[in-house]
Amino acid sequence: MPLLALLLSGLKEEIRMKKESKTANKNAGDINTVPFKTRARPYLIVTPALFITIGILIPFAMAIYFSLTSYSFRLPTYSFIGLKNWITIVKSSEFWHAVWVTLKYAFFTTVVEMALGLGIAILLNNNNNRFTKILKVVLVFPLMIAPVIATIVWQLMLNNSVGIVEKLLNVVGVYNFPWAASPSTALLTAVMIDVWVNTAFVILLALAGLQSLPKSPFESAKIDGGSALFTFRNLTLPMLKPSLYIALLFRLMAALQEYAIIFALTKGGPGNTLMNLSLTAYQTGFQFQKFGAALPYILVLWLFINTVAKQIVKRQRAAQKQALGKD
Amino acid sequence: MNKSKGRLSAILQNGLLVIYAIFALFPLVWMVILTFKADSQMFTTTFIFTPTLDNYNEVLFKSDYVKYFIDSIIVAGGAVIVSILAGVPAAYALARYDFKKKEDIAFQILSFKFAPEILVVLPLFMIYQKLGIYDTYFGLIWVYQLISMPLLIWVVRGYFEDISVEIEHAAQVDGYSWWQIFFKMLLPLIKPGLVAAALLAFIFAWNSFTFPLMLSGTSVQPITVAATKYLASDSVHYGQMAVAATVSALPAVIFALCIQKHLVRGLSFGAVKG
Amino acid sequence: MARIQLEKVTKKFGNVTALNGIDLDVKDKEFFILFGPAGAGKTTMLNNIAGIQIPEEGVVKIGGEVVNQIDPAHRNTAMVFENYALYPHMNVYDNIASPLRSPLYKKDEETIKKAVDRVAKMMKIDYLLERLPSQLSNGQKQRVALGRALVREPNVFLMDEPLAHLDAKLRNAMRTELKEIQVNFETTSIYVTHDFMEAMSLGDRIAIVDHGEIVQIGTGDAIYYMPCNEFVAQLMGDPEINLIPGTLKKKENKYFFTLDEGVAEYQLPAEEDLFKKLEDSESEKVDLGLRPQHVKYSFEPMEGFLKCTVYSYESIGNKSVIIAQYKNLQIRMIAPNGVTLKLDQDIYVNFLLEHSLFFRAETKEYISRYNEAGILALEKEQEG
Repeated sequence: MPLLALLLSGLKEEIRMKKESKTANKNAGDINTVPFKTRARPYLIVTPALFITIGILIPFAMAIYFSLTSYSFRLPTYSFIGLKNWITIVKSSEFWHAVWVTLKYAFFTTVVEMALGLGIAILLNNNNNRFTKILKVVLVFPLMIAPVIATIVWQLMLNNSVGIVEKLLNVVGVYNFPWAASPSTALLTAVMIDVWVNTAFVILLALAGLQSLPKSPFESAKIDGGSALFTFRNLTLPMLKPSLYIALLFRLMAALQEYAIIFALTKGGPGNTLMNLSLTAYQTGFQFQKFGAALPYILVLWLFINTVAKQIVKRQRAAQKQALGKD
Repeated sequence: MNKSKGRLSAILQNGLLVIYAIFALFPLVWMVILTFKADSQMFTTTFIFTPTLDNYNEVLFKSDYVKYFIDSIIVAGGAVIVSILAGVPAAYALARYDFKKKEDIAFQILSFKFAPEILVVLPLFMIYQKLGIYDTYFGLIWVYQLISMPLLIWVVRGYFEDISVEIEHAAQVDGYSWWQIFFKMLLPLIKPGLVAAALLAFIFAWNSFTFPLMLSGTSVQPITVAATKYLASDSVHYGQMAVAATVSALPAVIFALCIQKHLVRGLSFGAVKG
Repeated sequence: MARIQLEKVTKKFGNVTALNGIDLDVKDKEFFILFGPAGAGKTTMLNNIAGIQIPEEGVVKIGGEVVNQIDPAHRNTAMVFENYALYPHMNVYDNIASPLRSPLYKKDEETIKKAVDRVAKMMKIDYLLERLPSQLSNGQKQRVALGRALVREPNVFLMDEPLAHLDAKLRNAMRTELKEIQVNFETTSIYVTHDFMEAMSLGDRIAIVDHGEIVQIGTGDAIYYMPCNEFVAQLMGDPEINLIPGTLKKKENKYFFTLDEGVAEYQLPAEEDLFKKLEDSESEKVDLGLRPQHVKYSFEPMEGFLKCTVYSYESIGNKSVIIAQYKNLQIRMIAPNGVTLKLDQDIYVNFLLEHSLFFRAETKEYISRYNEAGILALEKEQEG
């Protein structure tokens, strides 16, 4: 496991240094080594966190192992079948459909949440009155409703016979909008619920970023006569990058593996319209009891998530350093 | 001329905010309204009905809801506390010290948050059974670290990085030991970030669905899992479900209101030094 | 009150050597200046004395005791940081009181109040005690940082450009205050500055630092009059010293100096000691150093004067500097304020050669100067 290896290599280096210093000590009455207490500190401090998380990492290794087997809850034994599971899924249309659904869902939710979140944050930042003051506190509330529960509530609201939204739509002449029941609108419904719950996260981060911007660059831009759009593109946006990247990171990664909302909404339906990689894995693993076969779905997802995340994080750290440097 | 333009734009902007506010808050308001509606009137009325406290009665006093609620509090609250105790020192180390593979370790920790829960849950299910921590508070609190600690470490690390290291030097020269510096000087300065990140960590933990679904059974049942029970039955008591949902949001709401001041400030990245 | 010694101290940061075999001996109760350009290593030295950093090689001694392994808290030093390092969440009173509340140097609240009030009055910040650092100007922050250091009675005061952000009037006032404090407390002080006037007026002795090495140590006067190389000569003195490249020629007992630029030749006024040193040095190519106050000018052509053109004329307070250009050579000289002249005007320049210094052209090292004996005698008297 990479983490374990890192820690071990760090410790090995420590032991080596100690040995070296011991021999040097004998020779030169060494007074220049940093005391062990101070040198060890970083490792000691990180260890509790690592310890906790290392324990969780073992499953990752197991998952990789099991994906290469025919492990199943039903069967008493399992055999090592190598890459058979992997080859199967690459050939299956189910897999590629799941990939497509995952990407679609992630794309729409992330784009809407980022744009809407940033937009609302800007509006809130520009207008300071009693209304916005209250709104700033209250807009965080949707985030606190567990997505599962939020889905249930929304389902009730959208219900074709008795839902409140239905009743309101009736007023404008729209009847029986299928929402989650039809393949053409199921994605829309799921995205809408996701947006409802999670936009607040983006707003929080964007607003925090906006409110911490230094005033002087903007003042000089005003003197230089920059238009609002110019200021936004060249001043605001770059300085907001650290916050926006974090928001993007968390939302995109969560959307790629979204399970709860879709599960609560339609369990993946109608049919297989909303079967993304997470849900397909669950179905294969628990419903069809084909543990080993389910894991490649998730591992592919994880690989993709990790790669994309690394890229975003790299950019975020760079943007953060830049923002700090400017001050 | 400019003034009326400005006012028009202000009206427009506030108008957009109102629209969003309706979108965001209406479901919540409606949910609360539902809590007071009797089942009999559930589908026949919209806004005008006779309010009743029956739903609250049923859920809070006559069902196991309170037990689930407490389970959630223990598990989510415990998870956040553990995350803080282990995470803040780790954030400090990542901010101050330059050891090999520092950024790699930091990224690893962050990546736990994105690890697909399903991926972790299947093998963990077996491990937990073997270790005997399946369906225990300890087991859930431990696995919740995957979702509560990463953001906390990242936000707090940003805060530590914002604190000039010279302040620690000055305190050393003044005569303070490292621990005293940590508590007297550093903690007060990271408070906004710590508190805001703690709230988010709490929300993530509280809302978690997959982990308790797979890794606990009957003795420990957070409300996210328990809520689905309310759907499983043939006759869905929407009013009761609304109560369950509303009450479940309360701890986070209260937490948020308490730290309101710090919430937005706390989540700024790359902020100007105070 | 302690003697501070650095013996062969080397400090590295990765591949960068910040301090290279530094030897320093600061006497007890001395006001010692570290002077040099940015990045020279002055702050690193302070950090190593304070214990914030530990050298890779070498020994740091305070009061004769080796303190390498002792942590900063126990070294009993007080430090004023270049960037103030004030505690942002505490008000001015608490910032200044902070050292007196630490477990090692704890005092009771009454003593603390007296000490803080005294220091605050001295720094003229007594009306700011309730404010937070974010509400202070740079100058005020600097005074709080100073106050925090002065409130204790440490072994040594370590001050890193403590007056850098104060306006001229305040800086002068503080300079006097500081010197007074130091004398009254009899505390060893090590003071970093890049202001040469400050260095000259405050320091008992000055160490010139460049690129992690000590270039020269001595009293202000010693360094000013006998800099060990051109770098030091240019560092000390405002306006900067004139360095005129040229060739020495000896004809019989007389020495002649020919400018590299052009062909002007000057006979050097005779001085036995100087000529002996020049001969021993066996250098032909030399740079002649002449301070701006030893260059005279006239707007009328005069015998022996060099014809130049006016390049610039700038006021530097109560006097002005004229820079005259002769081919590619620029010559700085002092002039009173309010002289009427035009750029590119002709100006005739006379060198008062009896005040010159001589440096080797290739190594830039100091060879000798006029009246060296007199300077040395003065230095002995000062150090005595």
